[in-house]
Amino acid sequence: SASELEEKYGTSINKGLSSSRAAEILARDGPNSLTPPKATPEIVKFLKQMVGGFSILLWIGAVFSWISFGIQFAQGSRPQNDTNLKNSKTLIFVILPSPQQALVIRDAEKKELPAEQLVVGDIVEIKGGDRIPADIRLISAQGCKVDNSSLTGESEPQSRSCDFTHENPLETKNIAFYSTTCVEGTATGIVINTGDRTVIGRIASLASGVGNEKTPIAIEIEHFVYLVAGVAISIGVLFFIISVSMRYKILDSIIFLIGIIVANVPEGLLATVTVSLSLTAKRMAKKNCLVKNLEAVETLGSTSIICSDKTGTLTQNRMTVAHLWFDNQIYSADTSEDQTTQPFDQSSPSWTALSKIVTLCNRAEFRPGQENLPIMKRVVVGDASETALLKFAEVILGDVMSIRAQNKKVAEIPFNSTNKFQLSIHETDDPNDKRFLLVMKGAPERILERCSTIMINGKEEPLDSEKAEAFQTAYMELGGMGERVLGFCHLYLPENEFPDTYPFDTDSMNFPTSNLCFVGLLSMIDPPRSTVPDAVSKCRSAGIKVIMVTGDHPITAKAIAKSVGIISATSETVEDIAKRLNIPVEQVNRREATAAVVNGMELKDMSLQQLDDILCNHSEIVFARTSPQQKLIIVEGCQRQGAVVAVTGDGVNDSPALKKADIGIAMGIAGSDAAKNAADMVLLDDNFASIVTGVEEGRLIFDNLKKTIAYTLTKNIAELCPFLIYIIASIPMPIGTITILFIDLGTDIIPSVALAYEKAESDIMNRRPRNKKKDRLVNEQLAVYSYLQIGIIQSVGAFVTYFTVYAEQGFLPSTLLGVRVDWENNAINDFEDSYGQEWTKYQRMYLQWTGYTAFFVSITIQQVADLIIRKTRRNSIFQQGLFRNKVIWVGIFSQIGIALILSYVLMAYWFVAVPFAILIWVYDEVRKLFIRRYPGSWWDKNMYY
Amino acid sequence: MATLNEKKTCSERMENFRRFVWNPETKLFMGRTLINWVWISLYYLAFYVVMTGLFALSIYSLMRTVNPYEPDYQDQLKSPGVTLRPDVYGDRGLQIYYNTSENKTWERLVTTLQTFLTAYTPAAQHLNVNCTGDKYFIQDTFDGPNNTKLSCKFTSDMLQNCSGIADPTFGFPEGKPCFIIKMNRIIKFYPGNGTAPRVDCTYVGDESRPLEVDYYPVNGTFNLHYFPYYGKKAQPTYSNPLVAVKFLNITRNVELKIVCKIIGAGITFDNVHDPYEGKVEFKLKIEN
Repeated sequence: SASELEEKYGTSINKGLSSSRAAEILARDGPNSLTPPKATPEIVKFLKQMVGGFSILLWIGAVFSWISFGIQFAQGSRPQNDTNLKNSKTLIFVILPSPQQALVIRDAEKKELPAEQLVVGDIVEIKGGDRIPADIRLISAQGCKVDNSSLTGESEPQSRSCDFTHENPLETKNIAFYSTTCVEGTATGIVINTGDRTVIGRIASLASGVGNEKTPIAIEIEHFVYLVAGVAISIGVLFFIISVSMRYKILDSIIFLIGIIVANVPEGLLATVTVSLSLTAKRMAKKNCLVKNLEAVETLGSTSIICSDKTGTLTQNRMTVAHLWFDNQIYSADTSEDQTTQPFDQSSPSWTALSKIVTLCNRAEFRPGQENLPIMKRVVVGDASETALLKFAEVILGDVMSIRAQNKKVAEIPFNSTNKFQLSIHETDDPNDKRFLLVMKGAPERILERCSTIMINGKEEPLDSEKAEAFQTAYMELGGMGERVLGFCHLYLPENEFPDTYPFDTDSMNFPTSNLCFVGLLSMIDPPRSTVPDAVSKCRSAGIKVIMVTGDHPITAKAIAKSVGIISATSETVEDIAKRLNIPVEQVNRREATAAVVNGMELKDMSLQQLDDILCNHSEIVFARTSPQQKLIIVEGCQRQGAVVAVTGDGVNDSPALKKADIGIAMGIAGSDAAKNAADMVLLDDNFASIVTGVEEGRLIFDNLKKTIAYTLTKNIAELCPFLIYIIASIPMPIGTITILFIDLGTDIIPSVALAYEKAESDIMNRRPRNKKKDRLVNEQLAVYSYLQIGIIQSVGAFVTYFTVYAEQGFLPSTLLGVRVDWENNAINDFEDSYGQEWTKYQRMYLQWTGYTAFFVSITIQQVADLIIRKTRRNSIFQQGLFRNKVIWVGIFSQIGIALILSYVLMAYWFVAVPFAILIWVYDEVRKLFIRRYPGSWWDKNMYY
Repeated sequence: MATLNEKKTCSERMENFRRFVWNPETKLFMGRTLINWVWISLYYLAFYVVMTGLFALSIYSLMRTVNPYEPDYQDQLKSPGVTLRPDVYGDRGLQIYYNTSENKTWERLVTTLQTFLTAYTPAAQHLNVNCTGDKYFIQDTFDGPNNTKLSCKFTSDMLQNCSGIADPTFGFPEGKPCFIIKMNRIIKFYPGNGTAPRVDCTYVGDESRPLEVDYYPVNGTFNLHYFPYYGKKAQPTYSNPLVAVKFLNITRNVELKIVCKIIGAGITFDNVHDPYEGKVEFKLKIEN
């Protein structure tokens, strides 16, 4: 009771707390606000970036470089660089909550205080439109309704009163929660919890307790680092041993070792990966997906299960008239977002009568000054269903307000929960008709009770049992679709009994409220967004399972699931089968049902195994009436199946699940700050279809990264072979370390980024999501094809250029073999070439540098071919279009341009490698042709990466 | 994801590896069936055979296209390098240090010179012709035996006092050592633009300080009839003309820096990167 409460919280309902007491409690409990999640200090982030993932290899390379620099200091250095391109700062989305005021009674006075200063025991007053400033136990309420959707996901406002109705604080009616909004009515209550101790605060802390998992792309990059490091180190060590056994000096051998490692590390890749992720993030931002965590872009692509919230994501989050029933017939209405007309048959006089009731018996009004906006976008004052009816009427009839003005209202009984109807009495717009028109709407069964006739085709007919039966069937059918049904009836009051001047009194109800004429039913639903069914079917064909997880009622949830295709038209739940076969639910073979609707209550009693069982065996699942914890359990259940799970949500209640998910997607418009904070991605237009775009982009980025890596890896062989041949055949050094870096960080950067702009090859949305254990970013085929095939062709091409340069300058290939020691000897300044000419050391070195340049140029030329072949993995380049990706051409020109700037070498040497570049292209076309021609063959298995 | 993060023990890893090497259930050897390994090996074998063939073909056609007499490009050899005999290299280039009283220190140098001059004995030069004209010896036709061009004779006696004939010790014990300057061969290089290039030795950095030098042949010139050089194939018996320098007033027990330049049009000695282009620099220290 009120006095107990006063005692418990040490307050007075009339006077409130004293300011001093409030200050004490405030000091004890802290301000009434949620503690923001602990932010990692920037320096820690920076250091993490510096050493994370790929950078480690570069750091090791850097250390080695310094060692080698030290070693070589005396010999004239061959300095090496490393790069650490810090990942571009991730986009950070911060929405500051507006400062909130609360009306508090303190020192027996009403005061406006900032909500942060509220303390336990404060008496606060709330009214329609306010945000609830803390968890409040109501002590008085008048028609108070709160919107709990941010907390529980229920789309409908919940009424609140002072009565204790349920053990569970979430279910009981006398508590209003922090951060929810009061939709209508007024209430007074005692603050019982503030700040982090509120229900929402606990959920928020639950969210921050959920650890972040490594993103799939991070795992892939790590795997790739291991692979490259493995290859680099093993080749390095192998040649260290070879060179030692060939009696090179240990010091030289160590330098070779370092050279080999440096040649193997794709220095530019880190930059490329980051840039392509950023590019995609940018592209997605244009499509209304804001990516907070860059790596999340790819995660979305590997998603195999999407757990979607219903309200606001799949649906429009506004009630709309979906069906009508009059003249014994059900009509469906257009529920799309941008309706301008309604297609159903409007010729019946019954419809005229019904439309009049809909128009008149409605208290909702448009806010003024919105005449130019489309009807659906206008702001309405009134509750959800009245809004729906108003907009519906406005669409069909035109200016509702003027119709209302013509039918002047003389009396009105607003809707209340006891009589469950709303009634109003109007003058008619026909000047010859002096009768009053009584219109009524309300719960269909209550309305029917008050009717004795029913209108069929504009004629009143007696309401016999047969017609009542028809009504029942229609009512059940509409209700079964999860729609909220309203009944409409009217009565023309006889002129003689109710003259112009008749004093209508709504308290004594001095007018008939029974024996009315039933006109029809209207049913409303929060309709699915029009783009959603298509998006769901795209997800289907992309092998992604869409699971609906909602706090809403099972029936509504199922209806929406059916209408968007989450439950497809042909599939049945266990209950459906039971109903069809007319057998008890227990006897149905659970395997037969492809769909399942699971209630939160059932979920509570399930073991993890049962949940796994459901997740495994049903392809179409709807979870209804779920709590935040249960959402978390569902997500974990999906992850146990090995799935990459995306979760969408808007409410605070979703934030733990968003955090737990492999990728959390928050709604930008409807989403709460907590949800946005927990999410990796924000859908700015709240549209589920954007997720599909995201999936496509994510898959594309995975494919394109594959291409980029294949492109980058290839030339490593052409950079490595010179070292190996140099050691084994003792020829003059074909390529220098700096030249290698010119390729890795100069000519190759823009082309590899350009591959991120490559369009999807085909069927990107028709294949299954990648299996994160099997379909690696860098698989054996990719490495082997790049290293051992294309890489080898490149090396051969580059060596042909090398030998050409030396031969044309006087050193024929036969002279070069085994020449290394003399060649590099400072004491030989009359080194004889194949033609008898004599060279000083410097002249030889100069020639060697020309050789480096020629080698570099020929790798560049062949990388152009490599770039072109990497555009596709399966399709022919000509299918893909050579010129569709303009950026590739920018890449090619930049590559050649940079090479031209960097090098001064005879033009003729540019063309030596061209035949090999053409060979690379032709060879790869043949490879792709066989892959397309013989899918599943030995060739496909070994050559497709 | 949890499964990926599981820490495996070492024995598990070993077991996994062993299973990877040979999986008895699926009969996979290192992830492939044996027959699959055969196929893939055959494929790669074929691939590499083809690549080797292509490489060989490329080199073959390269060899077919290059000119056998002279290289296609000579842009790297604009000015000839110069070398010195005896050539003893230290940390910073040529360093000729010896002690007149210790025979061993200079005998090594003398042997180098003697060995070097064996290519210039009349016997070694008997295939070459005597040339007298002081003009370029331009040959447009192959007048020599076996479709070659003629080369002019250069015998060590042309070096007179430094020929090692009269004084087999090349003046080393007396502290008046002979050094031989050689100019590198460059095909079709016409040094001096009609006047014979000559060697000029000075102290480094102090050119006014007199350095008494005897040059052999007279004036320290390379006679023009040794130029141009037509390449190894056209002139198999060609030998570089030499100039010997004899330093007469070397201060004992001091390290001297001497540079010998070749003066002549078309020969540059100001390339900062190349210490041996058009000149040769060396340190000389004679102790006693």
